[in-house]
Order: sequence, then C-alpha cells, then structure tokens
Amino acid sequence: MGLSQALSTAISGLRANQAALALVSSNVANAETPGYTRKSVTQVQTVSGDSANVRVTGVNRELDTYIQKQVLTETSGAAYADVRAAALQRLQGVYGDPTTSGTLESSYNDLTSAFQALSTSPDSAAARTTVMNAAQSLAAQLNSTSQGIQALRADAENSINDGVNSANVALQQIASINTKLLGTSGNDAASATLLDQRDQYVTQLSQLMDVRVVAGDNNQINVFTNSGVQLVGSEAATLSFNPQGTVTPNTQWSADPSKSNLGSITLTFPHGGGTVDLVATGAIRSGAIAGYLDMRDNTLVQAQAQVDQFAASLSSALSNKTTAGSSVSTGAQTGFSLDTSDLQNGNTINFSYTDTATNTTHNISIVRVDDPTALPLKNTFTADPNDEVIGIDFSGGAASAAAQLNAAFASTGVQFVNPSPAPNSTIQILNNGSGATTINSASVTTTVTGLTGGDAQMPMFTDNGVPYTGAVTGAGSEQVGLAGRISVNSALVSDPSRLIVFNTSPTTPSGDTTRANFLLSQLTSGTYSYSPSTGLGSTSTPFKGTLLTYVQQFTTAQGQAASAAQQLADGQDVVLSTLQNKLNQTSGVNIDDEMAHLLALQNAYSANARVMSTVNSMFTSLLQSV
Amino acid sequence: MTIDGVSGRTNYLGSSILNLKSQLDTLTQQLSSGKKANTYAGLGIQSSFATGLRSQLSMLSSYSDTATMLNTRIGVVNLSLQGLIDAGSETKTAATGSALTLNEQGQTPGQQTANASFSQAIALLNTESGGRYLFSGRATDTPSTASADAILNGTTTQAGLRQLISERKTADLGTNTPPTGRLVTVQTGTAISLSEDATGSPFGLKLSAISSSLTGSTVTPPPTPAPVAPDPPSTESVDLGTINPKDGDKVQFTFALPDGTSESIVLTASSQTPLPAASFAIGADSTATATNLKGALDAAIGNLANGPLVAASAVAASNNFFDDPPQRVGTTPLGSATTLVAGTPANTVSWYTGEKGADPARGTAVVNVDQSIPVQYGARADEDAIRTQLQNIAVYAAVTTSPSDPNANAQLTALNQRVEANLAVQPGAQSIQNIQSDFAGAQAAIKSATDRQTQTSSVAQTMLDSIEGVDDNEVATQILALQTSLQASYQTTATLFQTSLLKYLPVA
Repeated sequence: MGLSQALSTAISGLRANQAALALVSSNVANAETPGYTRKSVTQVQTVSGDSANVRVTGVNRELDTYIQKQVLTETSGAAYADVRAAALQRLQGVYGDPTTSGTLESSYNDLTSAFQALSTSPDSAAARTTVMNAAQSLAAQLNSTSQGIQALRADAENSINDGVNSANVALQQIASINTKLLGTSGNDAASATLLDQRDQYVTQLSQLMDVRVVAGDNNQINVFTNSGVQLVGSEAATLSFNPQGTVTPNTQWSADPSKSNLGSITLTFPHGGGTVDLVATGAIRSGAIAGYLDMRDNTLVQAQAQVDQFAASLSSALSNKTTAGSSVSTGAQTGFSLDTSDLQNGNTINFSYTDTATNTTHNISIVRVDDPTALPLKNTFTADPNDEVIGIDFSGGAASAAAQLNAAFASTGVQFVNPSPAPNSTIQILNNGSGATTINSASVTTTVTGLTGGDAQMPMFTDNGVPYTGAVTGAGSEQVGLAGRISVNSALVSDPSRLIVFNTSPTTPSGDTTRANFLLSQLTSGTYSYSPSTGLGSTSTPFKGTLLTYVQQFTTAQGQAASAAQQLADGQDVVLSTLQNKLNQTSGVNIDDEMAHLLALQNAYSANARVMSTVNSMFTSLLQSV
Repeated sequence: MTIDGVSGRTNYLGSSILNLKSQLDTLTQQLSSGKKANTYAGLGIQSSFATGLRSQLSMLSSYSDTATMLNTRIGVVNLSLQGLIDAGSETKTAATGSALTLNEQGQTPGQQTANASFSQAIALLNTESGGRYLFSGRATDTPSTASADAILNGTTTQAGLRQLISERKTADLGTNTPPTGRLVTVQTGTAISLSEDATGSPFGLKLSAISSSLTGSTVTPPPTPAPVAPDPPSTESVDLGTINPKDGDKVQFTFALPDGTSESIVLTASSQTPLPAASFAIGADSTATATNLKGALDAAIGNLANGPLVAASAVAASNNFFDDPPQRVGTTPLGSATTLVAGTPANTVSWYTGEKGADPARGTAVVNVDQSIPVQYGARADEDAIRTQLQNIAVYAAVTTSPSDPNANAQLTALNQRVEANLAVQPGAQSIQNIQSDFAGAQAAIKSATDRQTQTSSVAQTMLDSIEGVDDNEVATQILALQTSLQASYQTTATLFQTSLLKYLPVA
C-alpha cells in the first residue's frame, strides 16, 4: 500500500515504456524491410489494490488482411502479365527491326525483286545468282525465326523449372513456419516476426502461381491453388517438373504423358497422398509459371505455326501443280479420269459432285496418306472450309485406294474405278449412271519434284533436302517445324540455270521467262488459304491472301499482341503498386509516426521516472523523519 | 495531403519517375535514329500498312530497274532495226542505179555496196545488250545468225549461199547447151509441143500459158492445175495446121521462173530478110514454118535461160537457203535433179542460230513492268520482214558473174530488177517498220507505267516515312516537356524526403 504501490506502478510503467520503445526501434530499423508490418504493443491495466498497474500483453501486427488478399491476387496477375509482356517483347526481337533488312518481309521482298530482275534478264548469270542468294537468305531468315521462337520456348521451359524450385522452397517454408507457430500464442513479438516471414513466402509463392490462402486455427494457414488443390497445410506438398533439354517445334506438351515431350508440373502430396498433374488439370492459371506455360504451349506454338504456314505456303506455291481430270464415260456412267502416278504423301485429289435430289454440292479433298495410323484426317487438314477431307492410304496402289474410296463413298452414288490392266495409276471418278449424282469437276494436285520435267513449277524450297509435299504421318504433319528445316533445293544451288531451264529435251533457251514469270506471279499475286491454327481467320472463314498479306497480317498481329501485353502489364503494375501503397499506408512503418511515438514514450518514461524519484524522495523524507 | 509514405517504399512515385525516365530514353532513341520504333509492336496498328508500303516500294524499285533495262534493250533493238532498213534501202538504191561494170571478183559496184550492207545487217542482228542477243528469241545467250562470211561462202564442211546459188543454177538451167531451162521442144509435123522434163520438179522454167494469133493455128494450153506424179509432165503445144501464118502473126509463150516472176517469149511470123529479132521465117508451107518457129523458140529459150533464169534461180536459191531447214537440190547430177531436199546442219550453214518457234516472236521476252502490265519485246532474226530483207541483200551480195559471159549484162539487169522489186515494201507482208511499231508500243507502255510508278513511289515513301519516322520538332518538344516533368518530380521527391519529423527532433 501507499508509496511502494506507487513505486511498483511506476516500474510497470517503465517496463511498458521499454517494451514500446523496443518496438519503435524495431519498427524504425525494419522500415525498409520487405514484408515487415508495423508492430504495436497491446497493454492492459492490472488492478492491484487501489491503483492500476500497466502490463504489456502482446504485440499487435497492424495488418489489413483484406488488402493483403487483394495484393496476393494482383501479384499473381502482375507476374503473369510481366512474363507475357517480356516474352512477347523478346519475340518482337526475333521478328527483327521492320525498318532494316533483317526481317522476313525484307527477305521476301528481296526474293520477289530478284525474280523481277531474273524475269527481265533470264540469261544473266548474275540475276540467277541473285535469286539463289535471296532464296537462301529467306530460308535462313525462316530458320533463324524458328530457332528464335524455339529458344524462347526453351527459356520458358527452364523458367518453369526455376519457378517450380522457388515455389517448393516457399511451400516448405510456409509449412515449417506453420509448425513453429503451432505452439505459440501468436501475439508475441517472435510469432509476429514468424507471421511476417510466412506472409512474405506466400507473396513469393503468389508471384509464381495463383494461390488461395485460408486461415486456420492456431495461426495456421492452408494454401490452395485456385482450383482447390491443397499445397500446404501442416505439411507441404512437393511440386516437381521434368524439364526437357531439347525444345523443337515438334516437342509439344500433351495431357497424355506418353505423347508429351515437354515437362509437366506434378504435385506430390505428402505421405504418399498421390499425385496431380497441375498442367493437365489447369490448376495454375496465373502467376509467372502460368505465364511461362502459356508462352511455351500456346503463344509461341502459334508463332511457330505462323512461320511454318508461311514456309509451307511458300514451298507449295512454287512446286504444286494442279491437273484437271479428263472427261470419261463408261456406259451410262460419266465422270473424270485422273492420273495419280505423281500423287505423293500429302498431295490431294479434289472433286465436287452434286446430289441432284437435294441439289447439294459436295467438295471432296482426298489426301494421300502412307501411314494408316494418321487416319482419319480432320476436316481442318485443309484450310478450305467448304471441303470434306478424307485421307486414303495409297501405299497399296491405286486399286486399293479405289476400293477404300468406294467403301467411304458407298452411300453417295459416286464410284471409283481403277481400270485394268494393273498396275495402272488411273482412278476414274464416276457417277452411278442413274442421274442421282453429277460429278462436276475433278483435279489432282501434285508436288513437282524434278527441276527439268517440263513444268514451270519446281521445288525451289525443300524440307531438309526432300521436296515438301505436306505429308502427314501418325507423328503429325510435315508442316510443323518446316520453317526451321526449310532450305533451298541443293540441286538448284549447284545449278542456278534451272531457274530458267525447265526442260532438257528440248533444252529450254536461256532467255525463256516461262518459269521465272510463273514463280514471280506465284510469289506476288498468288492467293492461298491459311490454317486458322496460325491465329488468323477462323475454321469457317480462313484467312486468304497473298504470301505478303499473310506476313503483313501475322507480324502485325504479333506486334499488336506484344503492345497489348505490355499495356496490360503496365496497367497491372499500376494496380499492384497502388495496392501495395495502400497496404504500406496501413501496415508499413511511418517514420514520422514512430518519431512522434518516440517523443511520447520518452515523456512517459521521464514521467514514470519522476514518479519513482518523487517516491524515492518521499521515502527518504519518511525515513529521515522517523 | 499527408507526407505519410515518404520513404524508400514510395513505389508509386518511384515507378512514375522510372516511367518518365524510360519515356525519355525512348524519345532520345527516336531522335537519334529518326525512327519511331525498332519492332513491329512499336509501329502499332500501322505496322501492317507499313509492311505493305515497304513491299510496294521494293516492287516499284524492281520495276524501275526493269524499265531502265528494257528501255536500253529496246533502244538497241530500234537502232538495229533502223540499220536494217538503211541496209535495205542502200542495197535497193545500189541495184537501181548500178553500173554493170564488173570488178575482178565478178561483181558490180552495186553488189559491192550490198556486200557491205549485208555484213552490216548481220552485225546489227548480233548486237548484244548487256550480254544478251536481242534477235535470238528465247535463246538470248546465242548469237542470232552465223557470220556473214559463213552465210555467203560456207565453211569447210557446210555449204553457204554461193554454193546453193551455183547448185540451183545448174539444176534450173539443165544440162543442155545452150540451156533449155529444163524444157523439151518437139516438132511433130506442123505442131510444136513444149514440155517440162519432169512432173512436179521445182527447177527450170515452168509452163504457164500459151497464146497464138497465127492464122489457122490451134494451141493447147498447159493443164491447170499443174499435173502431179505419176501423170506425165506439163505440156503445151501450138499446131500451125495447114495454113501458113501471115506476116506479123504472133505466138506468145509465158513461163513462170523459179522466183515466182514470169517471162514471156513473143515470136512474130515474118517474111522479111534479114529476119528481125524475135521473129521466125514464114516457110514454103506450114511444116517448114513450124521448123523455123521451133528454131526461133529454142534460141529464145536459150536466151531466157542464160539471162533472167540465172537471176531468178539465184533469188530462188537465196529463198531456199533462208528457209528452215534450208532447201537444197536433191540429187546428183544436179542438172537432172527433180526435187529439193532439206539440208542438214552437217552439210549446210544454218543462217539463223537463235531460238525457232511458231509462236509470235514478240512473246519470246515478256516481263511485267507493273503488277499486271506485261511488256513483250522479244525478236527473232528469222521474222518474215528481217528474213526477206536479209535474203535479198544476200543474194545481191552473193551472185558473181563472169565478165567473159556474153549473157552477163542480161543476168545482171534481171538480178537488179528483182532485187529492187523485192526490197520494196510488199503490201500485206510484215515489214521492219511493223516490228518497230511493236517496240514503240512496248516503249509507250513502259513509259506510262514508269510515270505512274514514280508518282506512286513518292506517295508511298512519304506515307512510309510518316509511319516509321518521327517529327524531330515534335520529339524535341516532348523531350523538353518530359525533362521538365522529370526534374520537377526529382525536386519534389527530394523535398518530400527531406521533410521528415526526424529532422526537427531535438538531437539529445
């Protein structure tokens, strides 16, 4: 009672002041520490007799959890947008500077100019060499574009691996902090620091992938993917990724592990809880990892498809020859006769017939396929939206092909005949003579493989040395990755005179412009349809145009995508920094506040000390008076 | 406004400054390079348009190169064609007014001019423009013709024009002395028949008509059309009958010569002494008169064969030589040959060495001077007009006449007439002027395309510059504005950082 009571109260005040000062110093010291939240003391009065002591009961983290959640979401979004924007900017670098010569379009323009010069001076060895050089540089440009795109995909693959490793570290740390917090009250300084650290790891994780954080009892948190798969509870699940060293246009991720030749992210639950393929289940929708997955499996695959399509259209435009069928009739049956001897894997027979009862016209594209495992073909095999595609195995010859066709068209009234004597590569497409169907037209499109067979067409560009026919096998289409393999026909390189000489018996005179003019017009005014897999046009209305307009379209589309991604990333950064700013305002350290607080504490401390010294002097007086 | 948040974590302010800084960097780069961007993305939505413009400019530049090249070539062709016309008219003038004096080579001064003209014409046809022979059709790397010397004189193994002229002369004149032009005259009583020596033979004089005003005579004209084997050869006759012709009565025999010209022999019955030229004596009876007529006819045929037939044979031989393949006298002995056979490259000079073809010569060189404006500017030395020109200059240059030949003057006069007539513009046939006008058309097309392209090119370039380029003034202004803004931000930030309570607290 009395003085000693006052003394004890003053001491408790001093203790509280010291604790608060310790926090001020810790706040000031950590003002710039990322993830540090401002701490404040929780102090309560304790009644002891007539007076009230003060006691520090804990440490408070000044945290707005609502804003913190928003920040987490936006962190994932911003990381995703940044990855995309950066990758698309790098992709722009692959396409080159449009105002200089290192671009596809400039190589292409050089080639058409060289052909124009060749058409003017077909006999000039210099003009011929210029065409060859221009063609080689276009092929090299396509090769390097393809390599650039694949290098970006390989980088994405590696980045996913790094991301998965970082995510694992964060997951384990979160789990470990969860465990440490289990035995604590959660409102002391030590656990507040642990909470800060844990939040920091969650933020790190959310940069990599989008996560949902659910607070549990005893200061525990559970981290889930947004699709609901638990990543961390009391223990962390493990992410694993099997990066592939070689990334080419033909290596693609597939949900079927036996067909996939790129890495996939597998989540292994602790204690043999099984595994989940996070890529196949689409569990990762945002964050840097999702950004890299998107680049690797969609954006860059499409960019490759665009240059492959260009390479394929370029090769076919110069080498494909369409021959109309000759009219033929057998009894009452009429139709067309086609020579299929030059038909190669991937080449097509096109015919159209009308069902007179319904007056419906059907356009059929028969594709030669040598690998039966590639069958059946999808209608999208050709870019033409109005045709029905059927793949036929020609490896057994025309008789076998006709039999397969008859089976396929059994209900239509169209018949296929392979006239004897065998072996005969002729196929006749006939109606059944009843008038129920009319065969309107038929033609066969083949790839010219020789340089001097008397055709203006020629295989100027080859796929690794063999003429490009658009072949399809069980492993996929020849078109995939063509841009990386395209090269100028080596026979033409060693003898550029073949640019003019298309026949050796009689030998084409060196001033003949038939071939040069044909090739030039194919390059400048030939129009082709392009597959919707290039991102241009749709299945029902594919993009159609000259090779140049196609280049125009896809480079612009990529440019637009890059600027859009950059704008999105910029916008996302603004959102994120605004939110972070807001979070900082509520939970960050404000030096002014701390200083003001410091003054108050200093005064309070002096006051408490004064109380003590007063009590002291009173005691002294008391003792002296006794 | 609070000064809350002024610390290292002032993200928003910090990132704004960074943003300003990066804009400044971009603008500086634009100012120094003069270009808006170095990626497709940087050109924005207009990148597609820019791609189109660049391609258009590239094509226009190629077209411009083509047009320059074509103008050069067509210029050369026009010069050559003009040279050919000049060579033709020089030869024609030479043939018209030529003196008939022969030099030691057996040629008149006019023929010497023709020799020079022929060499000139061959040189013009073999003119190169940048390594390209312009009169060889599609075979632009091959000279158009053999050399003038090879054409006229042949080579060691191949016959030239002179040999063909000589061979044909033998075949046309026949083996008789004096030559009968491959005709046979037979008298049967009062009738005189005149026959060719073989059915369908291209050589010698061909019977075309007979007419008679001889009193009491009957004529049998040659069959029309001319008989074909195995029918007997063409024949005509005049039968004086029993009545003797009167003084002044005439009989006319018309012959077709190998070059397509025709000559007539008109014989007049006469009782004068001495007998005038181109007459036959009226005998005691019609049989005797017929004998005289045959004698006069034989002599006249001899003159015709030694004179105009020699010239016509040379012209025909030249035509044969310039045919493709060249036509030569078929069998030996030459004097009794009845067919022409194709010469082979082994035994006869092929004068035209360029590309042959039945298609129009202009179409042998086609190039687009604009997206869809093809210009045809090919030429072949074997085009009708050029060939005719060469053939006639060549025959005049090739023929040699012996000064000792009594028929020299007749032959030369006949040759001069033919060369002069053949070198005149033939109605309905292609002339060199026609070829020139074809080229003038091509040049006009090139010019209008070039004019248009020059304009298009300048518009396209301006547009491209406006898309790709930057306005220096605009960029400089923007840089200034940014600089000001950046400096203000720096200043404000610095001030904010200094405005901290920390500074105003007592130190102790």
